[in-house]
Amino acid sequence: MSVLAQTRQDALNLFEKLGLPTQRDEDWKYTDASRLKDLLQPTPTDANIHIKDMGITGLDAYRMVFINGLFAEAESNLPEGVSILSLAELEKNSVGEDAEGIAKLFTVDTQAPLLNGFNAFNAAKASDGAVIILADNAILTKPLYILHISNQSNVVRHSFMIGKHAEAQVIEHFISTDDTKALSNTCSFVALKAEARLEHTRIQQEGSKQSHVARVQVKQCKGSSYQFHGVEIGGILSRTDLVVNLHGEGASCDLNGLFVLGGRQHVDHHTRIDHKAPHCTSRELYRTVLDGRSHGVFNGKVMVHEDAIKTDSNMSNGNILLSKHAEIDTKPELEIYNDDVKCAHGATIGQLDDKQLFYLRSRGISAETAQELLTFAFADEVLVAMSNQTVRSYVEKAAFAKLPHSDDLEEMLGS
Amino acid sequence: MLEVKDLHVSVEGKKILKGLSLTINAGEVHAIMGPNGAGKSTLSNVIAGRDGYEITSGTITYKGDDLLEMSPEERAWAGVFLAFQYPVEIPGVNNTYLLKAGVNAKRKHQGLEELDAFDFMKTVKEKAKLVELDPSFLSRSVNEGFSGGEKKRNEIFQMAVLDPALALLDETDSGLDIDALRIVAGGVNKLRSKDKAIVMITHYQRLLDYIEPDFVHVLADGVIQKTGDKSLAVALEEHGYDWVKENK
Ligand SMILES: Nc1ncnc2c1ncn2[C@@H]1O[C@H](COP(=O)(O)OP(=O)(O)OP(=O)(O)O)[C@@H](O)[C@H]1O
Ligand SMILES: [Mg+2]
Repeated sequence: MSVLAQTRQDALNLFEKLGLPTQRDEDWKYTDASRLKDLLQPTPTDANIHIKDMGITGLDAYRMVFINGLFAEAESNLPEGVSILSLAELEKNSVGEDAEGIAKLFTVDTQAPLLNGFNAFNAAKASDGAVIILADNAILTKPLYILHISNQSNVVRHSFMIGKHAEAQVIEHFISTDDTKALSNTCSFVALKAEARLEHTRIQQEGSKQSHVARVQVKQCKGSSYQFHGVEIGGILSRTDLVVNLHGEGASCDLNGLFVLGGRQHVDHHTRIDHKAPHCTSRELYRTVLDGRSHGVFNGKVMVHEDAIKTDSNMSNGNILLSKHAEIDTKPELEIYNDDVKCAHGATIGQLDDKQLFYLRSRGISAETAQELLTFAFADEVLVAMSNQTVRSYVEKAAFAKLPHSDDLEEMLGS
Repeated sequence: MLEVKDLHVSVEGKKILKGLSLTINAGEVHAIMGPNGAGKSTLSNVIAGRDGYEITSGTITYKGDDLLEMSPEERAWAGVFLAFQYPVEIPGVNNTYLLKAGVNAKRKHQGLEELDAFDFMKTVKEKAKLVELDPSFLSRSVNEGFSGGEKKRNEIFQMAVLDPALALLDETDSGLDIDALRIVAGGVNKLRSKDKAIVMITHYQRLLDYIEPDFVHVLADGVIQKTGDKSLAVALEEHGYDWVKENK
């Protein structure tokens, strides 16, 4: 058996050993993975999807399209002189020495936090993915927009390797063509060399019966910077494990999450930041707006290791429940193994601020509009950090369209 | 225009206003002074419609209507405006949008068409100039990161745009530097007219040098203890509030 085949077989064995997580698992207490058992197997067909005009229109970006987990080259537009490759393509052409390198892309790090059966399954069964290798000092002049379109279960596996002093912006967008019951199992592995910078956006906007399980695993070298924007507006059940390893001195991460949910949507983000080196900074801002019978779960754990002196960590999670049947379970956790740190974290669950409501009403804005305005503003604060304005206004429109009376958005929202 | 009669108000079981009466006619400017905690902000909040206050008895009539039956936005549409003592910051809500939404809600209520964007911006720029508010504040979030004085100036700017019939200014002069005080007072004076009324809550006689009141009231122990003209403010400055209580 080739190294590559062996690696994938190992992953399958690991999956069989781990199985799917159960609610007895502390990390899966609120999310019922058993519902996804029958949806695991990918069915990578291109299913006659007409992708014209799908996704974010008017975005000035390089484009990589995956249909049901397979790279659609004809629909894509990639830059010259930069290695942005299809994982399946690489796999097919791998021989000799290359094969070992490629096999590494499928290796499961069993020691990584929050590892679960879905992740092992992903390594075993991924049908394709994007492999970005950005050389030292290279700058991707436009964002890379990775559009995932599906109406079947699919398994994709991305690797973003950003060289020293290199810079990139990657936007992953997940949409469906219909309301088929299916599962997207996705992994994105990010490796940032010294002083590298990546802005990484994930927008989960799949069909109303689609489920989504994701792992985003980031390793950061010295002085690198990683910015994450996770937007959850679609699907029925969505779980993300976001794992950041601040491995090199002076690295920084900035994690932003926004859930705008209604109906019976269930979204669970577990984030884990390991401060392993001195002088690292982590920022985390998660906000949820929950309507209907939706259920949000946020678990944010920051672990400050012994050597990580002068750690600066700040986490905040705010939640607004618009309906009395909506539910949020939030747990910010902090574990610190040295004294020389500055850490703050907190979560709020609540209704809107009375003083702000009264202020708006006293200016002639109706109670109903004032509530919406404050809700939009609350959610929008997470998006302020997004550098791409086309993406930001797309997300604003898509997210806020879920709430009643969402006209006049652009002027409504402050800067 | 406004008639407050025998108003009793409690907050969390504590009696704050104890039978306060006050009549304000169109064209008049009133000043209300009084010690800290006397209930001045309570009175203005109750007039503007803030909840959390228990009105145990008394009435407030505004232009012939029962004000207490109206929601805060209905009061705003009817021309009531409160410049807050402590304006709240509202991150993410654009200052200009707030005003546009406010102006148009009022117009809609009056059966008028919405202002078009161009006319609205013209008014906004004019009024910003009037209170010498830096135009960059227009595109910022409501009061977010504003200094104390900038917040007060923004309140007067909002007042100028919303063009109320009854303006309550709760310590708008506190926290203003001398130049700002002059500018804000100038803005208020421009709003004076025979069909409008202004109520200024203040601790300082200085404001009254700029905006000359027709009446000065002293609010203490939950009622208006004394009413006079501008000279009452001067006497207060000299003798303090105990003197008022002793010389009712
Ligand atoms: N929400 C509240 N809960 C409890 N007590 C309150 C509340 N609001 C007002 N009070 C009390 O009511 C009293 C009157 O307060 P108010 O703010 O009206 O005073 P004021 O005359 O405006 O004082 P200042 O000159 O300091 O602004 C104070 O004793 C205050 O503590
Ligand atoms: Mg007060």
